[in-house]
Amino acid sequence: MADELYLENIDEFVTDQNRVVTYKWLSYTLGVHVNQAKQMLYDYVERKRKENSGAQLHVTYLVAGNLLQNGYVCHKVAVVREDKLEAMKSKLSTLASVHVYSIQKALLKDSSPLYSTDYDIVKSNLQHCSKFSAIHCAAAVPRTPPDAPRAPAQSQRGPDAASVVNGHGPPAARPPPQQQRGIMGMFAAKAAAKPQDTPKETKAEAKEAPGVSATSSKPSIKNSIMNNFFGKAAMNKLKANSVPEQLKEEKEVAKPSVAVAEPESSPNSVAEKPGKKAESARIQQKDKRSKTKRTDRSDDEEERDPENVKKKRKRIKQLQSDSSDEEDIPPSPTREEERAPSPPLVPALKTELEPASTEGSAAGRKRKRKRVLKSKMFIDEEEGCMVTEKVYESESCTDSEDEFPKPKAPAPNKQPVLPAKREPKEERKNLKKGAAPVNRANKQASIMGFFQKK
Amino acid sequence: MFSEQAAPTAQGLLAPPSAEPPTFPRVPVSGYSDCSQPFQLGERSFSRQYAHIYAVRLAGMRPGLERCARKQWGNDIALRKLSELQAGEKCCVVGTLFKAMQLQPSILQEISEEHNLVPQPPLPKYIQPSDELMLEDELQRIKLEGAIDVQKLVTGTIVAVYGSEQDDGRFLVEDHCFADLPPPLPWNGPSSDRFVLLASGLGLGSVSGEALLSTQLLVDVVTGQLGAEGEQSCAAHITRVILAGNLLSQNTQSRDTINKAKYLTKKTQAASVEAVKMLDEILLQLCTSVPVDVMPGEFDPTNYTLPQQPLHRCMLPLASTYTTLHLVTNPYQANLDGVRFLGTSGQNISDIFKYSSMDDYLEILEWTLRAGHISPTAPDTLGCYPFYKSDPFILTECPHVYFCGNAPHFQSKLLQGKEGQRVLLVTVPDFSATQTACLINLRDLTCQPITFSGFGADSED
Repeated sequence: MADELYLENIDEFVTDQNRVVTYKWLSYTLGVHVNQAKQMLYDYVERKRKENSGAQLHVTYLVAGNLLQNGYVCHKVAVVREDKLEAMKSKLSTLASVHVYSIQKALLKDSSPLYSTDYDIVKSNLQHCSKFSAIHCAAAVPRTPPDAPRAPAQSQRGPDAASVVNGHGPPAARPPPQQQRGIMGMFAAKAAAKPQDTPKETKAEAKEAPGVSATSSKPSIKNSIMNNFFGKAAMNKLKANSVPEQLKEEKEVAKPSVAVAEPESSPNSVAEKPGKKAESARIQQKDKRSKTKRTDRSDDEEERDPENVKKKRKRIKQLQSDSSDEEDIPPSPTREEERAPSPPLVPALKTELEPASTEGSAAGRKRKRKRVLKSKMFIDEEEGCMVTEKVYESESCTDSEDEFPKPKAPAPNKQPVLPAKREPKEERKNLKKGAAPVNRANKQASIMGFFQKK
Repeated sequence: MFSEQAAPTAQGLLAPPSAEPPTFPRVPVSGYSDCSQPFQLGERSFSRQYAHIYAVRLAGMRPGLERCARKQWGNDIALRKLSELQAGEKCCVVGTLFKAMQLQPSILQEISEEHNLVPQPPLPKYIQPSDELMLEDELQRIKLEGAIDVQKLVTGTIVAVYGSEQDDGRFLVEDHCFADLPPPLPWNGPSSDRFVLLASGLGLGSVSGEALLSTQLLVDVVTGQLGAEGEQSCAAHITRVILAGNLLSQNTQSRDTINKAKYLTKKTQAASVEAVKMLDEILLQLCTSVPVDVMPGEFDPTNYTLPQQPLHRCMLPLASTYTTLHLVTNPYQANLDGVRFLGTSGQNISDIFKYSSMDDYLEILEWTLRAGHISPTAPDTLGCYPFYKSDPFILTECPHVYFCGNAPHFQSKLLQGKEGQRVLLVTVPDFSATQTACLINLRDLTCQPITFSGFGADSED
């Protein structure tokens, strides 16, 4: 019977998996009310003991009741082992409740495994931690997100998202929900981006751009606050996802070439796109923030980006090898958009971006990235000291085209195209203050580098 | 409270699963209003001297004290200022007490080179038999002796003394009185059982994890996961949880990083970061089920001076999305279902403990109520904001529940005043040490401690 299924489940958890099965853990795992979980545990214990009195089962109980202590009648709630159950019950003047707390195979020395089991299961179910409890509070409702500017932007983007396409839709819609949902948003957004990628049409990205620019400052602010609470890895992703917004705000108008690129990129797996977008976004992000966030972020990104970029690049080059010259032509701003929304468009395009932005340097980096262990020195204003860090940094080596130190299969056919691209790119590469370390590509480090603000 | 109602169904869950386990709705809050506006500081400027706060304190409490003096010693007593005193004349003077203590830590002495003093280590009590009491008013001060307990009283208390000035310039005290209990508030308490859970000193982030299971059990009882049906239905009557300070443990306050070299500590994180994350998760579990008021304490990340401002909600991203989370000041005053609560996280009481011979936290708590001031030792030995317009720590109305957090043990007492005041005094124990919280029944102003325990390797009591 379906009812008996839980017995088998508990049996499996306790004997096979050798877990400590607390009522709370069982309640979340089986999705039942806590009281039912307690009763299930009791039932299991009874039956198991009846069939096999030598069964190796240790049970802990929860006992609660009145106890006279220090002159006050206090309400005592205690978790006790089975052998101490009767002793505790007799100490209490009035018994308020007793039920099974947990079942496990081994005898527990102390209650810390109980605590850690409960802690883990609650932590993984934080969003609905009162779902199976016996008390329901009507007043406990989450606040609605207060950002007003985001609301109009979102509604504006709503209809866009439906008809969207060239990637502006998905990334545009993605960041605001992400900001609000924090870390969960990142995963949801990637999933959401997939279905949204499919419709393709040339869109007036301009429509979305203002909406995005209005909110982009908010996401970045929220980002920095949220960043403090999520790990660096998550922070990277969050930031990366917010970059497409920022990029958009910098760029200008829709490009026809985007539409051209779109159909070509459609054969690319959709799954790659969100990842690619994030990657390329991340790289941009890295440049932008390299001043403020120096450390392991660069390591993470370096490892991921080159691989993906290489993979994507390979595909794109094949598709667009004959239009390589065109790629230089479209205004650089458009590159960003194309890139962000359609990862296949690649880093090559992306890099051309804004002369004004650090993208140039990012671009250069992306084109030919090589991981080099470098010492980065900068002055940390807030702490008033000079810090030297050795980090793996991707450095563009424009003078050595044939060097692709990465072992991944970088498309060899990319290389002939790259030199051509690199020239215009290099011209546009600006020595932006924030991207100073990257701009050092192939320049001999001068002594003045020691005093530059990086 | 809980136990009697829950007893009938105590063993109900020792049975095979039943069809539909009941879910109890949390008793809604019928009337809540936050009255801590005087403790909320907006723009803060520390460019004033602290003399102003004593001046407004004396000015604010003088009328009440003169009334008490007349009641106690007759309507025709002479009320004099210190500058109007005449030798030998019996009169009453209202002023601020100042206790000159030799052992009181003084920063000026510590840094003075001529004394060559080593900084004094913190002592549990700084009182000494050689301490002296002085009475100050707006213009002068005079030494007190006589029927006044020098050891018990602390600096900053406003007192009315009755006696006469001696030839040697001291004032011989025959009797003294304080402001006594403030005027009572009307009683609008609920007619059915409503509970408020008071806990303090959760001490998250401490090295030892003994209290963690107890904290989890506390959260489970309040959110209705623990216990048989009877107990859960009683727990549904808990309308509010007040966490009175010291949510973080003292261990999170370590300042080792200041002494170490920068390159060693560059990437270390403050211990309070982890602790605040843990706090956020615990508060999230509580907030999804019950309104929670969080007061900051001595070791929490907020300002040091009293009144402590609420914790910032950016530190609690998960929990602050719920409207049931209220971040409030320390001291905290609010009307819950018609019952007026007033309490602190315990810094005021523990400071008085250090400078007075009184040992019992409940006794000190009662004494502050009778003296009409929440924290008389501020700003002398306890950090305080330099108020100059009015002193918000003066008690103007008598609360129904007066509590202090982080006490060494649980104690409670129902005080009856002469004018019909009924106050429940509660010293909330430090949870990380005692695993005890307090349940207050708003209907009849009774309080019951609730203790949690797990089992350890060394079996138990």
